Amino acid sequence: MSLSMEGIRPHYPDYSNAPMQRHFSPYADNGGSVVAIAGDDFVVIGADTRLSAGFSIYTRDQNKLFPLSKTTVLGCAGCWCDTLTLTRILTSRMQMYQQEHNKTMSTVACAQMLSTMLYYKRFFPYYISNVLVGLDNEGKGCVYSYDPIGHCEKATYKAGGSAGALLQPLLDNQIGLKNMEIIGDSKLTIEKATNIIKDVFISAAERDIYTGDSVIINIITKEGIKDDKFELRKD
Amino acid sequence: MSLSELCGMSDFDDKINSEYRGDLNTFCGNFTNNLELGVPPFSNPAKNFASVSKDEFGREIKIQFDHGTTTLGFMYQGGVVLAVDSRATGGQFIGSQTMKKIVEINDFLLGTLAGGAADCVYWDRVLAKQCRMYELRNRERISVAAASKLMSNMVYNYKGMGLSMGMMLAGWDKRGPQLYYIDSEGTRTPGKVFSVGSGSIYAFGVLDSGYKWDLTDEEAYDLGRRSIYHATHRDAYSGGIVRVYHMKNTGWVHIDNTDCMELHYKYQDEKLQKSNEIATK
Amino acid sequence: MSILGYNGGAMVAMKGDKCVSIAADKRFGIQAQTITCDFKKVFDMGPRLYVGLPGLATDVQTVMEKLRFRKNLYELKENRTMTPEVFGAMLSSMLYEKRFGPFFVEPVIAGLHPTTHEPFICNMDLIGCINQPDDFVVGGTASAQLYGMCEALWEPNLGPEDLFETTAQALINAFDRDAISGWGATVYIIEKDKVTVRDIKTRMD
Repeated sequence: MSLSMEGIRPHYPDYSNAPMQRHFSPYADNGGSVVAIAGDDFVVIGADTRLSAGFSIYTRDQNKLFPLSKTTVLGCAGCWCDTLTLTRILTSRMQMYQQEHNKTMSTVACAQMLSTMLYYKRFFPYYISNVLVGLDNEGKGCVYSYDPIGHCEKATYKAGGSAGALLQPLLDNQIGLKNMEIIGDSKLTIEKATNIIKDVFISAAERDIYTGDSVIINIITKEGIKDDKFELRKD
Repeated sequence: MSLSELCGMSDFDDKINSEYRGDLNTFCGNFTNNLELGVPPFSNPAKNFASVSKDEFGREIKIQFDHGTTTLGFMYQGGVVLAVDSRATGGQFIGSQTMKKIVEINDFLLGTLAGGAADCVYWDRVLAKQCRMYELRNRERISVAAASKLMSNMVYNYKGMGLSMGMMLAGWDKRGPQLYYIDSEGTRTPGKVFSVGSGSIYAFGVLDSGYKWDLTDEEAYDLGRRSIYHATHRDAYSGGIVRVYHMKNTGWVHIDNTDCMELHYKYQDEKLQKSNEIATK
Repeated sequence: MSILGYNGGAMVAMKGDKCVSIAADKRFGIQAQTITCDFKKVFDMGPRLYVGLPGLATDVQTVMEKLRFRKNLYELKENRTMTPEVFGAMLSSMLYEKRFGPFFVEPVIAGLHPTTHEPFICNMDLIGCINQPDDFVVGGTASAQLYGMCEALWEPNLGPEDLFETTAQALINAFDRDAISGWGATVYIIEKDKVTVRDIKTRMD
C-alpha cells in the first residue's frame, strides 16, 4: 500500500525530459498449480490448465504436464518460457540417453538430472516449481519436488505452484494423516487419490486467481499413462 | 571412406556436434564440468539479480529458495556426533519437514548442510565424486583435511556471487576423528564443537553447558538431540525431526530419527517429574 | 517482510448451526525467535462476542484496550449490550480513523446476536474494510494455508462438536506449514447457553 503524497502534479511521460528507463524483465509469473500423490504401485499427478499473466488469461487450455517416458511425468508451474526451455532440453537429454545406452532413463535418474540441470542456472534460475513423478525401479510410485535452483526432495505427495501454500496443509491432513488421532487403515487407491486431487483443485480454484478452468490428470501405472480431465470454475 | 565422405556424412556429424550439442551445452555445462555453472546475463548476481526479478508489469517475482536450519557437531572421546533438524523453509512457508541435512559422502565422511539447500546438496555431490576419484587414483581414502580443502576451494571460486552455505565435514581418517567447518565465504577451520544455522545460538546454549570430552556415547547422543530440540523450539526456521549420526573408527552409524513433537512432550514430562520429586522432598 | 508478519500468528473463525467458533495460535515471537507460547490473541468482548487480533503484538493489545473502553462506554450510555454487527462497525470506523498511520492488526470477529442468537462472523483489513461471508474468515500469517484448509473442510450447518473438530483441524494443519505461527492453539466454541474453550496439543517447533 502506498501512502506517499508525492507526484500530486499530473505526470505526462511523453513530455518528460528525464531519460527513459527500460528494464530487462526476463521473468513472468504465468501461475498454475501442480499436485501429485504417489501410491504403492501408481502415481497420480494433476495440473490446472490456466495460463495467465497478472489479471489476464492467455489461455484456458494449456497442458502443464510433460510425459518424459512411459513411467515419468513432469509437472511445471511458474514462468512458461522457462518451462518450455527446460522441458525441451530435458526431452533431448532423455533421447540422448536412450540412444547412447539403448534403454530408457529411470525416474530416479531423471530426478537427479533435473536437479543438476536446474542448478546449472544457479545465478539466473528457471522460475518454475517442478514436480516430477513416476514409478521407481521397483515399480513403486514416487514424487520428487524441486525448488527453483534444484533442491530435490522425494516425497509421497506434493502441491506446487501458485496454490501450493493453500493445498499442501490439506494434503498433509488427508494423505499424510497429520494431526489425526484416530487413523483408519484405509489404503490409498487410485480412485481415492484422484478424488482428493479433484477436491483440492476445486478448493484452490475458489481462492487462487491463477488456478482454474480445468484440470488435466495423469495416472501412471505399470500399464502406462492414463489421461483424465475435469472442469473447474472459469471466473 | 568414400561413400560417407561423398555424401558429406562427416560434415553432418560435425554439424550435430557443433550446433546440437552446443545448444545443449548452453543449458547443461555442468554435466561435463561440474564446477562450471551458467553465467547470468548481468554482472555481480548477488547484487544485480534484483534488477531482473520483476515481471513486465513491475510486479516482484519471488524466487524463494529453501533455507533455515540448525545443525551441530562435536568431538568427544568416542568420535564425532552430528545432529541436525529437518525443516526446509521458503520464505515463511515450510516447504518440507523431512529434509535430509546430513549427506553421506562415503562410509567415513559425513557433511551437514545449512543455508541454501540446493547449494549444499549440489556441492556435496561434487565433493563426493571428487573423493571417490581420489580413492581410485591413490588407493586410499581421502583425509578429511583434504576433502574439506577441496570443498572450500570449490566454493571460494564463487565467492561474492550469492552462494549461501555453512557446512560441517565430519570424518575418520588415518589421523583419527576429524571435524571441519566450511562456509561459502571460504572459511575452513578444524574444531571440537560447532553449531551452524539460524537456530545455532540456541543449540550452543545447551551444547556448551552439557559438553565435556568424557561423555559416554548415550550421553553424547542425548546432548546432541537435546540441543537441536531446544533450537527447534525457539527458532521458527528449524523443526521437523532430529537426526543423530555418530562417526566411529569403523565408519558412520545412523543412531536415530526422533520427531520434535515427541521430544517436546517427553522432555516436558521429565521436567514435571523432576519438579514433583523436589516438591515431595 | 511486512510489519503484519513481525510477530506471527494465525486465526480462523467459522459459522456453524446456531454456533460460531474462533481459534488462534498461541505464539508470540519476534521474527524467527519464539518468545512465549501462551500469548492471548482472542479476547472476550461480551458473553457471546469474541474478537481475535492477529498482527503486530503491540497493536493487538492497544486495539483490544481501546475496543473494551469504547464498548463499555457504549453499554453504559445506551444501557443495552452491543450486537456483533455494531461491534464490527465500531471497530471498522476506529481503524479507519487511523487511515494514514494504521494499527497493524487484521481483526476477526465471531459472536452470537445477544437476543436472536444469530451467528455472526466477519474480518477486516488493517484500515477497517469489513468482509462478512457466510462460511469462514481467516487472518494472520498462515492465511493462505487456512484458506486452503477451510475451503475443503467447511460445510454448512455444523453442530458444535463438528465445528470444533473442523476449526481445530483447519488451524493446526495450516500453521504446521507456517514457520512463524503455531506453538499451541486455543479454540472457542460459542453457543447460546455456553462458551467452550479448549487448548489443543500441537507441535512445538
